[in-house]
Amino acid sequence: MANVQDIDEAIFQLSVTRAVQAVFKTMIGKTAKPVPHFADTSVHAVALDQVHVVGTAGMVGAINGLIYLYFELNFAKLCAGRLLSLSPREIEQAGDETVNDAVGELTNMTVGTFKNQLSERGFPCRLTIPSILRGREFTITPIKSAVRHIYRFDIDGHSLTADLLVESGP
Amino acid sequence: MRPKILTVDDSKTVRVIIQNAFKHYDCEIFEACNGVEGLALASRENPDLILLDVTMPVMDGIEMLCKLKANAVLKAIPVLMLTAEGGRENVLRIAKIGVRDYVVKPFKEEVLVQKVGRIIDLKSITDAPAKIKSIFDPATILVVEDKPIIIAQIQEGFRHTPWQVRSVATAGEAIDLCAGETVDLVMVSLSLPDDAAFTLFRMLRASLKTKYTPIMAIVVKTDAAAQQHALQVGFTAIATKPLDLVDLEAKAAKAMHLDTSQRYFHTAPDLLVLKLPDNCTPALIGEISDQLKLKVADAVNSGINRAVFDLNEVRSLDMGHIKLLLTAMQICRDLALQFALVGSGNVLKDSQNYEDTRAWQFYSSMEEARASFQKTEEAAPAPEAPAAPPDAVTAPEPVAAAAG
Repeated sequence: MANVQDIDEAIFQLSVTRAVQAVFKTMIGKTAKPVPHFADTSVHAVALDQVHVVGTAGMVGAINGLIYLYFELNFAKLCAGRLLSLSPREIEQAGDETVNDAVGELTNMTVGTFKNQLSERGFPCRLTIPSILRGREFTITPIKSAVRHIYRFDIDGHSLTADLLVESGP
Repeated sequence: MRPKILTVDDSKTVRVIIQNAFKHYDCEIFEACNGVEGLALASRENPDLILLDVTMPVMDGIEMLCKLKANAVLKAIPVLMLTAEGGRENVLRIAKIGVRDYVVKPFKEEVLVQKVGRIIDLKSITDAPAKIKSIFDPATILVVEDKPIIIAQIQEGFRHTPWQVRSVATAGEAIDLCAGETVDLVMVSLSLPDDAAFTLFRMLRASLKTKYTPIMAIVVKTDAAAQQHALQVGFTAIATKPLDLVDLEAKAAKAMHLDTSQRYFHTAPDLLVLKLPDNCTPALIGEISDQLKLKVADAVNSGINRAVFDLNEVRSLDMGHIKLLLTAMQICRDLALQFALVGSGNVLKDSQNYEDTRAWQFYSSMEEARASFQKTEEAAPAPEAPAAPPDAVTAPEPVAAAAG
């Protein structure tokens, strides 16, 4: 397994940014603008004051890690509607499961695109099946050995947070 | 038969995206959410294509693909991987097992449809039962020709039609134009350098958007080898230079499957009228002959039992007209339809020159032809032919050949 300390943070940032931009442009038709100078890696950076849908998918291989994508509920519904060609009313009728599945797929695509870039840089790894967290007032705390990077994006006035947790090398 | 596509993906979202992507195409979509379900459905439905994800619970895409390739019945089904697993190593590993193509998520629907269209015969739903376009409907014709004088001739020749003639000088420009706009017919010069016409043909056929667009070759009349090659490759039609614009128009209409019958046939309202053009080229005669039986049958079916062959636009009667009229008369006799001829003195004079047409009689107007039918009906019982009125243009021996 590679030592993540050897990988420059700028590579993680670039790879996450490219992944988020590619997925949201291709699938939702929206441009994701990185929020500059956002370098807060504390728990407070992803404190949730309203209902969020959080998608997560992992990477296993030369690098082990997870990415959490935090969607505000309204943004999650908007994305699901765009992905499935459904109106806001139809999304409401379709229920939480449909929104969760859409967020899961967007997360799967984002993490897949991110890890494909790492693979091209000589760190091959495989994707795990995505899962969903939903609620308010919860925090995700990594184990101490994990390296954490948090990146925030503005997508058409909505906030999307990417929380990257990578296991430290041996 | 409608092609069947089996999509195997644990994400309902992806399955819905695929359903949406193909909703405008005439195909059947089956869904499975893991490899086990996928194999069962593949055995039951024998799909024409499988869209397969990699990362799935229960049985992943790699395992399903291996089992599929090990099954004598299912191994020939083409598989297109649709997955977020896009790393080089993964792609190579999966390619070794045997997949036809690979689409990495995120993906644009058009890209997926395009790739699927290269594997199976995908037809747009609007292509299938679409209303037959008429010769009077607008159409866009793209002329790919590097000689401005030929383009000018075609534009001038089609000026009287509702067709819009666009032109480009190279195959590359044609590809760009076809990607952005809908073209109803492409006419390409085989004399473009470097066999560009054949390259263009292949590229247009490879694209889902232009897969079924008719493509005509324009070639010098004496270049038999190029004409032969174009026909072998599958060009829809050949037009030869120097261009015969009447012939070119007929070929273009045929290539676009336009209904040209309205140009020659109409009902008015208790009569079927066939209006013959002055210049009856072999292509036109073929075109009208093809429509004759159907049009007469349609008229009979809707209660019309009279037909008028209107030769008012014909300046002189030639063998083409005669052949066509003899065919039309026979069809009318077969269906017990009364008929009459309308034409000028010149046409009558010409008709005297041939054995088969010497007895034809012509009325000078539609009104006279109509009146003749009434007279015939008044005369009992069932006369042989409509009698010519005193002022009608008639043959010296007014024996009507025009009787049903």
